[in-house]
Amino acid sequence: MSTQTENTSNAPSNEPSPKKGATGWVIFAFFVIGFGFSLLGGWVGFPKMLYTEVPHPIDFNHALHMNLVYDGCNSCHYFREDGSFSGSPTLNECRDCHGFVMGINENEEKFVEEYVLQDKEVPWNIFSKQPDCVYFSHAPHVNGAEMDCAACHGDIGDSESLRSYQENRLTGYSRDIWGWNMSRLGEPEHAPRMKMMDCVNCHVEETDSQGSCFQCHK
Amino acid sequence: MKIDRRCFLSLAGGLVAGHLLSPVPWKVTDDLSIWTQNWPWTPVPETGPVTWKNTTCTMCPGGCGIKVRIIKDRVIKIEGREDHPVNRGSLCPLGYASIQYLYGPSRVKSPMKRIGERGSGNYEPITWEEAITEVSGKLGDLRKSGKSHTVACISGSDKGTIPHLFKRFLEAYGSPNFIRTPSAKDAHETAAYLAQGKKAQNVGFDLENAGYIVSFGCGLLDGCGSPGYQFSSYSRFDKDHTLVQVEPRLSNTAAKAKKWMPAKPGTDGALALGMAHVIIKKGLYNRNFIENHSFGFEDWTDDDGNIHMGFKGLVKGYTPSMVSEITGLAAGQIESLATDFARAQHPVAVCGYNECTVSSDIDKTLAVHALNALVGNINQPGGMIVFSDPEYNLPEVEKDQIASDGTAKPRADRAGTAEYPQTRYLLNMLPETIMGANGNDLPIEALLVTDANPVYTMEDNETAQEAFARIPFIVNFSSFMDETAQFADIILPDHHFLEGFRDVPAPDGVGKPVTSLSAPVVKPLYNTRNTGDVIISIAKSLGGTIDASFPWNNYEAFLKQAYNDQYTDLSRSGYVVSADKPAPWESAFANERGKYEFYPTMRHTAGNDDKSKLPDFRQVDIPGDKTNDALVLIPYKSPRIASGAIANPPFMTKTIDADMLKHERLFIQVNPETAGKLNLKQGDAAVVKTPSGEATVLVDLFEGIMPGIIAMPAGLGHTAYSKFIAGKGVNVNALLKPVFDPTFGLNKAWGIRASLQKA
Amino acid sequence: MQKIPSHTKARHYGMVIDLDKCTGCATCMVACYSENNVSFRDDESVKLLSINWIQVYKLTNGKPFPDTEVCYLPQPCMQCDGKDFGHPPCVSVCPAVATDFDSPTGIVSQITTRCFGCRYCMAACPYHSRKFNWWDPVWPADMQNYLSPDVSPRMRGVIEKCTFCYHRFQQARQKAYAEGNPEDIGEDDYQTACTQACPSGAITFGDLDDPAHEVYKLKNNRYAFRLLERLGTNPSVYYLSTRKWVHRACDNYLENEEPAAFANKQA
Repeated sequence: MSTQTENTSNAPSNEPSPKKGATGWVIFAFFVIGFGFSLLGGWVGFPKMLYTEVPHPIDFNHALHMNLVYDGCNSCHYFREDGSFSGSPTLNECRDCHGFVMGINENEEKFVEEYVLQDKEVPWNIFSKQPDCVYFSHAPHVNGAEMDCAACHGDIGDSESLRSYQENRLTGYSRDIWGWNMSRLGEPEHAPRMKMMDCVNCHVEETDSQGSCFQCHK
Repeated sequence: MKIDRRCFLSLAGGLVAGHLLSPVPWKVTDDLSIWTQNWPWTPVPETGPVTWKNTTCTMCPGGCGIKVRIIKDRVIKIEGREDHPVNRGSLCPLGYASIQYLYGPSRVKSPMKRIGERGSGNYEPITWEEAITEVSGKLGDLRKSGKSHTVACISGSDKGTIPHLFKRFLEAYGSPNFIRTPSAKDAHETAAYLAQGKKAQNVGFDLENAGYIVSFGCGLLDGCGSPGYQFSSYSRFDKDHTLVQVEPRLSNTAAKAKKWMPAKPGTDGALALGMAHVIIKKGLYNRNFIENHSFGFEDWTDDDGNIHMGFKGLVKGYTPSMVSEITGLAAGQIESLATDFARAQHPVAVCGYNECTVSSDIDKTLAVHALNALVGNINQPGGMIVFSDPEYNLPEVEKDQIASDGTAKPRADRAGTAEYPQTRYLLNMLPETIMGANGNDLPIEALLVTDANPVYTMEDNETAQEAFARIPFIVNFSSFMDETAQFADIILPDHHFLEGFRDVPAPDGVGKPVTSLSAPVVKPLYNTRNTGDVIISIAKSLGGTIDASFPWNNYEAFLKQAYNDQYTDLSRSGYVVSADKPAPWESAFANERGKYEFYPTMRHTAGNDDKSKLPDFRQVDIPGDKTNDALVLIPYKSPRIASGAIANPPFMTKTIDADMLKHERLFIQVNPETAGKLNLKQGDAAVVKTPSGEATVLVDLFEGIMPGIIAMPAGLGHTAYSKFIAGKGVNVNALLKPVFDPTFGLNKAWGIRASLQKA
Repeated sequence: MQKIPSHTKARHYGMVIDLDKCTGCATCMVACYSENNVSFRDDESVKLLSINWIQVYKLTNGKPFPDTEVCYLPQPCMQCDGKDFGHPPCVSVCPAVATDFDSPTGIVSQITTRCFGCRYCMAACPYHSRKFNWWDPVWPADMQNYLSPDVSPRMRGVIEKCTFCYHRFQQARQKAYAEGNPEDIGEDDYQTACTQACPSGAITFGDLDDPAHEVYKLKNNRYAFRLLERLGTNPSVYYLSTRKWVHRACDNYLENEEPAAFANKQA
């Protein structure tokens, strides 16, 4: 570069004392390019890199089941006697109806053949799964604060098909926890976000305290 | 257009600025922190519905009821069962830690066949069919060659249906050699037989109702006997309860006793006689019992007109001042102990049970039983309770000629022979017998070991190991790779107790006839089988009358038939308590007089004089040279060390105090006064030497031990199991040596002479 | 220290341990290991490196045979309240807010995933109640199977300590919510694993401020005292012993100074 500079300066020229190096707008353009690249990469490319789509083992039609059960969500996602929450139903609970292929659709057939008949639990993708250090009890929220399932889990109960599940490659948890919108601004897309601050904000609003560490951690 | 360095700097600036306004740094920081908090190698225990199942712990003979917390077929925790009559919610550390055995590294996961040298630990897995064929083939050959009586079984217990199956098997097969490992039961059942006339009785102590307990060296709170029973009884003590502990070392029991009486070791019998002296002299004994239900209290005349000395005559000489000289306790102390004992509500004298040394001194035991008889506290609330085993509803054993001939042969351990006619089992005699025989004519050609670890637990351990090494064929039924399993040719692993069925009658020392059921709470994890099933299979493959004696398809069917009507209750509530009150005095005594015999007329003695029949105090001459071995070594029991057939699980070893174990070195307790004479300081390495062996230990100065006595905990120095217990400390059994009673053959030694020198 | 949620009743859990009853059997320790997924190593004889949430110490009166006496001292985390019910020594020094005073229960919390292992709290604790994970815990063979999901297994480089089995409080509260009486957590509903396990009944646990609880009565016993009481750490664990030498062994007294319980006696 220095050689070129020397050449330039030594060359006969009419221009008065030419400026060395690039001009301001070029420098700015480079800034914009860099800025744009990072911004675009961060907001568009990064989520694609960070998250990976994980297919569901089988599709599940919540709406269809809701029509067949008597007690809404509680029919399959219920409280046990000790107040703990059952979460996803186990094979034994499904087996009552799906002991053999009823021929409803191919998902049902797959479920019975690959799981029920082989006595293998379905490895459901859990949208709301939290790390082991998090303690969460449904009872105070459902029984105490009388919250509706949808308040945290969105309208999955009305869905006819499982929506897309994306897994965070670094942490292994669902994209739902942070929220699908990387900015975490605005209303959540599918279901309320579940980062610690989301819990805290609600707790401050409802109980006038963010709670103590042990309230939610173990 | 010129592009220079500043453009690139600007580009970098733009990249950074854009980056900072993108979610990348914040999101990555957040995700990385989550990532670092969830290492893949840090386990995340799976959740699920919690269930609780009741069963019975069989890690020791204590028979405690437990409840097991289970999440998705995983055993998470064991706790004491509040509604169980034995332990009433209490449980010892071994019970809590037994889940570590279920999932631990010392499980034998399938039948094994030895491929290397004996003791090398080289085994290969084989199938159950191969294993059973091999064992029954070997046993069948021995039987054909007329050597059926050379098959023996060593069992940790003779109660319950599993030992019963072994006894039944040997009977049908043709061997008299069912041998129970030595325990305090030996002395108790022999003493109960001599004084009360019934064989094989359970002797327990109703500690939960006792008001004044004099314990002659029992580690009631040191984890012996049925710790759950003893602890739960103790937990209910209030200021009106008195526990007096007689022993030369301030044990945990002594530390918690209202009074600690550090009598010289081995003098308990004299103290009991001294107490009897005071009680009789002051007329504090139970007149009704003595006059109507006892014999031999006063001097008596036999049919030939010979006058014999009674118990009263015997204790006449045991004045407080004389006993004071023997025991080293103050005469006044002895007198007030006797007086308080006799005047108390529900006084009971306890001995033998629960000591960690298996000292079976018949005289001492008879003297302590006599104390209970004096205050009329036999088969009474808060007293000494004597009861029989449950009777099993089973068909007769079918015996062919070989079986009849074989069972009629004298036992290899010499128990029940003319030499020791009143003793049932004498395992301690076995090594001597084996070592004395020549190679072609071994008294034991095949050995079955169940619920026992004799290669570790037998005193004079080196000789015992040599003897076991000579036995050509050893079959072990242990669930764990213990020392005896490492000697075995074939290992037929039993389930862990949380995986299989088993009945648990008459827990050690418990003052009520409780039978509990141990039932599976999880499916077997490995390729193991219930020992009962295996015995039935072996019997079936031997065929003939042996097969015919075992008409059951499996152990469960056998168990159900054995308990008959009671089985429903047993499986529903997990235990049954025999509804009958302990036999009243009118019917309790089965000898021809129907009385408690202070003078045990049946007693087999060398001479026929009164003093050898009566429970006179006879100082036991423990092994060792009095001049060279100036000290006396006694083993002690710690509740934090499992010292029986089962070794410490890791959790228990974790609780061992820093003054007991330092890395692989064991501490020996020495009184500072004694240590001063030997020029030893705290933590010094020293060599302890006894006639049986020697070991390097560390010195722990402990004021609570009698000068001249040194003490080592029992239960360490394992060589098998896993790295969590093997190679830690010294096996005290390797330093001890039995002293055989001349007429009973039982081991009377309570310690051994030893020397201690700076290493 | 956090504000108590508006709907929550404030409790002050504590423990009273009868030293005259404790036999030193260590059942509490083993029950605690099992309850709280405490790890173990093949050599646990160096106690400074050994992780125990409750540790039983042995005290002797130092007198020669046969006047020797031994007393066992089970020592969980003292769950100090500090002077103002909220500032225990360990919490004050934690730069990571990994340990905090749980105002609704009076229990000192420890969130191991938040801890970065500076060990300030270990230095600040006058009771050696805090233990550091120098190694990653390993559960050999199939032992991972017995781990409880109620307590998170720890990793290398973090501090852990007794939590008064806080997960049992959570379970009790969860059950109370399920039954519709969220504040109805009785004495029996929440007991620590060591209390429940003690086969001698030496440990009593409950709400120190609730007159209906046994601990309320026991802590006011004349022979009740606390470890190093005069440091002002204000522990929630009380001890009982009628023996003067035990009181003396549990605090620093001048030669002619009498422990409180015995000084009053003379007055």
